[in-house]
Amino acid sequence: MVLLGKVALGIAGTAIAGIGLICSEGMIEVNVVEKQPEAHHVYVLAPAMLVPIATHFIPSSKLGHASAEIKPWMPTIRAALEQLRAVEDVTLVEVREPGQHVVVAKSGGSVVVDVTDKDDVVHVSAPIRAIESTVEQVAATSAETQD
Amino acid sequence: MRKGIRAIGVCGVLALTMSNLAGPAMAAAAPTERYLHVKVDNASKGESVNVNLPLSMAAAILPTVNKGSLHNGHVTIGEADFNGVDVRAILDAIRNAPDNEFVTVKEKDQDVRVAKSNGNLIVHVLDKTKDGEKVDVTVPMKVVDALFSTTKDNELDVAAAIRALSDAGDAVLVTVQDATEHVRIWIDSHSSSE
Repeated sequence: MVLLGKVALGIAGTAIAGIGLICSEGMIEVNVVEKQPEAHHVYVLAPAMLVPIATHFIPSSKLGHASAEIKPWMPTIRAALEQLRAVEDVTLVEVREPGQHVVVAKSGGSVVVDVTDKDDVVHVSAPIRAIESTVEQVAATSAETQD
Repeated sequence: MRKGIRAIGVCGVLALTMSNLAGPAMAAAAPTERYLHVKVDNASKGESVNVNLPLSMAAAILPTVNKGSLHNGHVTIGEADFNGVDVRAILDAIRNAPDNEFVTVKEKDQDVRVAKSNGNLIVHVLDKTKDGEKVDVTVPMKVVDALFSTTKDNELDVAAAIRALSDAGDAVLVTVQDATEHVRIWIDSHSSSE
């Protein structure tokens, strides 16, 4: 009985540690609400750590063009993301025009994009660390492809 | 067992006390972030654009960009853009001169004024033909000096100018106003443009 308890505790501990590890880079949140009569609502909340892992499984031929484009800009992207992580929360860009409102902000370690127009309300939030890992992954894919 | 719990409690209280003491001290030591704000309002179209860029971010990004005429934070300018004018000599003269109005041009359709005041280089342009467009540019002399601090005559050190802007006080750098549109570029320590 005690042995079973210990095994159960071990499994539970491993599961909690696994969940903690997967969620350690934060969560990516995508929320799309259509305003039309037959409104669709899409809501996705996924561990950010899965994105760079998923990127690893995309065939390098599919990522070749994107990675070739992104590679020369890697020093700039790294510098931008590093600084973005360091600065306090800030609204980087806000555009308002009749029927449309776009906000790009840094909020709590994430880059948040909110778009509201006459048809949709879109909210995307991605942790900066996850963006960094994904971009690095894409750039690395390029190197592997070219080698 | 009790001793152990007591020791954990004491450690917790100590940790809380240390974090409370260290928090304000660290906050006081951290330099205040400066922001470059750009605000464009078009009243006739009901449009507005706000950009708030941390200067530390701009200073970190600029040296990494190597594209076109921008390299390592320096912008290369063709000889033709200076039209043979020795800009550095003119700036030296302005720097050493007392506050004054250096250029005043009044034409039928345009007024231009260039002056130095309180350590700032000021340019006013009033275009009387185009919806009465009015442009005011105020640049701290330190920033102008930083901009021309490169050893090459045909280069501007934009990264140095950004660093100089970080050290400058709150300032409105550019305003452009015409019948429909208002553009404002300024620097302060607020993360929002309100």
